[in-house]
Amino acid sequence: MPSNDYDLIVIGMGLSGLMAAMTAAEAGKRVLIIGKGMGRLCLFSNSIDFLGTLEGDHMADGISAWIAGHPEHPYAKAGQDRITRGISMFRSLFIPPYTFCAPGAGNCFIPTGAGTYRPTYLVPSTMTSGVGSAEGALIAGVEHFKDFSALQAAGGLNARGATIPLGRPRDRDFTPMALARLIEKPWFRTALGREIKRRMEGEKRVGFPAVLGLRNPAQVREELEYIVGAEVFEIPILPPSIPGIRIFNRFKAWFDQGKATFLLGPSVKNPVVKGGRCEGVNVLNPPVSRLCTADAYVLATGRFLSGGLVASRESISEPLFGLPVVQPRSREEWFGKSFFDGHPVNHAGIRVDEHFRPIDDQGRVVLENVRIAGSILAYHNSIEEKSRDGIPLSTGYAAAREAIES
Amino acid sequence: MEIRTEILIIGGGATGAGIARDLSIRGVPCILVEKGDLASGASGRNQGLLHSGGRYAVSDPHTARECISENRVLRAIAPHLIEETGGLFVSLPEDGLGFQGEFLDGCRSAEIETSVLTPAEALEREPNLTPDLLGAIEVPDGVIDPFGLVLANVRDAEHHGARFFFHTEVFSVGLSRGWLGKVFAKDSVSGEEYSIVPSYVMNATGAWANQFLRLAGIRTSLALSKGSMLITNRRLTRAVINRCRPASDGDIIAPNDTVSILGTTSVGSQDAADFDVTGEEVSQIIAETAKMVPEIAGARFIRAYAGVRPLFRVATETGEESDRGVSRGFALIDHGARNEVSNLITVIGGKLVTYRLMAEKAVDLVCGKIGVATPCSTHLRTLPDLEEEPGPPGLMPHAHGQEYAFRGTVICDCELVSRDQIEKQIGHKKMRAFTDVLHRTRLAKGTCQGGFCAYRLMAMLDEKHAVEGDSREVLEGFLEERWKGIRPILWGTAVKEAELIETIYKDVLNFHTPGVEPGA
Repeated sequence: MPSNDYDLIVIGMGLSGLMAAMTAAEAGKRVLIIGKGMGRLCLFSNSIDFLGTLEGDHMADGISAWIAGHPEHPYAKAGQDRITRGISMFRSLFIPPYTFCAPGAGNCFIPTGAGTYRPTYLVPSTMTSGVGSAEGALIAGVEHFKDFSALQAAGGLNARGATIPLGRPRDRDFTPMALARLIEKPWFRTALGREIKRRMEGEKRVGFPAVLGLRNPAQVREELEYIVGAEVFEIPILPPSIPGIRIFNRFKAWFDQGKATFLLGPSVKNPVVKGGRCEGVNVLNPPVSRLCTADAYVLATGRFLSGGLVASRESISEPLFGLPVVQPRSREEWFGKSFFDGHPVNHAGIRVDEHFRPIDDQGRVVLENVRIAGSILAYHNSIEEKSRDGIPLSTGYAAAREAIES
Repeated sequence: MEIRTEILIIGGGATGAGIARDLSIRGVPCILVEKGDLASGASGRNQGLLHSGGRYAVSDPHTARECISENRVLRAIAPHLIEETGGLFVSLPEDGLGFQGEFLDGCRSAEIETSVLTPAEALEREPNLTPDLLGAIEVPDGVIDPFGLVLANVRDAEHHGARFFFHTEVFSVGLSRGWLGKVFAKDSVSGEEYSIVPSYVMNATGAWANQFLRLAGIRTSLALSKGSMLITNRRLTRAVINRCRPASDGDIIAPNDTVSILGTTSVGSQDAADFDVTGEEVSQIIAETAKMVPEIAGARFIRAYAGVRPLFRVATETGEESDRGVSRGFALIDHGARNEVSNLITVIGGKLVTYRLMAEKAVDLVCGKIGVATPCSTHLRTLPDLEEEPGPPGLMPHAHGQEYAFRGTVICDCELVSRDQIEKQIGHKKMRAFTDVLHRTRLAKGTCQGGFCAYRLMAMLDEKHAVEGDSREVLEGFLEERWKGIRPILWGTAVKEAELIETIYKDVLNFHTPGVEPGA
């Protein structure tokens, strides 16, 4: 009978939870990672955004300057050194041919499906040819794939757009998942490549929505490039994000080598808390509920979308442990008048000490052996900062290090 | 371009469209100009109620009689736009049963059919009602698709020779010796200017009446009242639920196809385009309507919106100057008889359900002046059943697009709007492509309120070269408009939706504050 006792239990399967679990498992700890869903990673992530607002061309220098200016920010809690180590650990997971690299020392720009450019840091190899500028490329979309408009993207990118007719799958439209799976099939890829080639007017590069397969994206890209006779790069689009799912799958494959117990689906309820410590959590897999225990816990349940934070009409709360949540005084102040405002609600979250333990408004530690990681942390605004992946990546690493070093 | 016409109608809401239909059926040439899309004012921003008149039975017997008589007319001429839901006036413990007697008397004298239900009977009919209710009275309330109604009037009028100019705003008038000789209007899509030479001008601009009258040099004291409404993500009741007490805020729960619309507030306003819903109004509507249907307290809302009612201020019996005390009846102002402008008539106030009657009276008046003796027949002719799929802002149309549900590419996943349905709307000349498509389809009316499908619609318009200006700016404009309706209801699961959509547009796709370039 498998033991229900672990060194570390990680709650949440977004990038922060995955990073935390990997960090502890790599240090030889017995780890359980539980997630009721696949996290925001699979909705949004494509390249790794670290601090897109950073000007200057050196990320490390920029981060240390940022830390100096933002002492409460999750990056300041993690510290420069652990941020660097976290990045290294993340990159170590992606071996050639599908790798993440920083095209420059600082931020670079990648084109998006809306014809904008977005500052980002680590770029998967399927996107590198689009870095900097997509000008003069052919942007190819697929007919009946409604989540990417080649014309719209091309318009903003100073490129030429073409929509490729591939017939309609069973009288319905293509979803990103369907396209990603189809494109792994040689007959489909060949047909697509030939249709793109026919539309080339001397362009040297082709931009395509980020659906170039789930399992072997680098190979898919390479073969497409061979058929088309030009470099091919992926462009991020509306959710779900195929590149994000690739990251998730890569972590899962790593855990599944016996490195950690990976539970996707069950939810965590009714933690047992005694004397300021968590002594176990109930893992609910209806109709079965079992108590799992560990020396330490990482709470990485994300924000509202993933259920880490809950908003009632009066206030914002953390539903699992009932932790104190830093938040604006009233609901009227949560959101700005304009959609494009930086909304105060995005700064809400759990306040932590330098060891990532949750603290109350007096600065007292609420739970000794629980560490908080990822977007649920207070004092950041990942949308405005363009730090959507950097915060979970660094704090997942740092929180797990704190948990296993104590 | 100069256009000569007998009657110029200004305003493309229910009243203006109704006047155009009535005039054209009587054989009087007319044209209508509207500065936006049709039904973009109060005609498209209401609860979609086909009032029985019960609500006015005690306070305003005259309006109550008009309502019930027009209620019957509309059920005869526009059955395809109406759902005969019935309505209940529910008495709660805090109100007591005292008002029931007055209410029944009022309904009797206005000839509104009623039947008194016991609490058990009411609950059997509407299981979501509070079990604490003391009693309920049934009346013939219903719901109507306001956008479809206006559209049907427009199409019928066009069929009889009327001409319509949408997105065409009056910017100046030529007035000499109290005679409106010319009206100048500009098409905001093509930029073309028209100089219109009418014999008579009908001002049917609703909440914007003051603005037009000022152009004509006339001062008025038209009162405006803002009413805010909330839409739930599913339908809570079968019938229209009213509170059995003197009219007050948060009194009505109107079903509308698959959703319910809760309303309303009544706040004095200065601005005809005052569509902001405050947090206070939201709390008030929820608190009051939840007393009738407790489930509302925990409901998922998808949108808040407001309409501005034009009210014609008359002295109330008590002399009290509250916004609710202002008559919901309508008035015709003959500016000639008042020695202001001899060929101008303003039509003001009224209810959606009495739009046809207002049009009839207005057209009777103008026909008397121009010597046309043909009587009104709009109450005898059925309104056309259009193939177009109407869908006013925030309201469900009567006919849901079920038949399209699984045919071809679905662009709006929440409301199952297909590419074919949208393509039918694109390419109509003289359309503000993006917003007009939203107006005429169910697109963006569901739970995500266009978070996904707005991008897809934009892509379709791009393919057809039907976008005016920069398509990203149009999309940004949509997101900003959408935000107005969503911001007031952001708590619970709606906050998840907000995080999703904000991350898509501002983060992944890196849209920025309009007018500011990234990195600038």
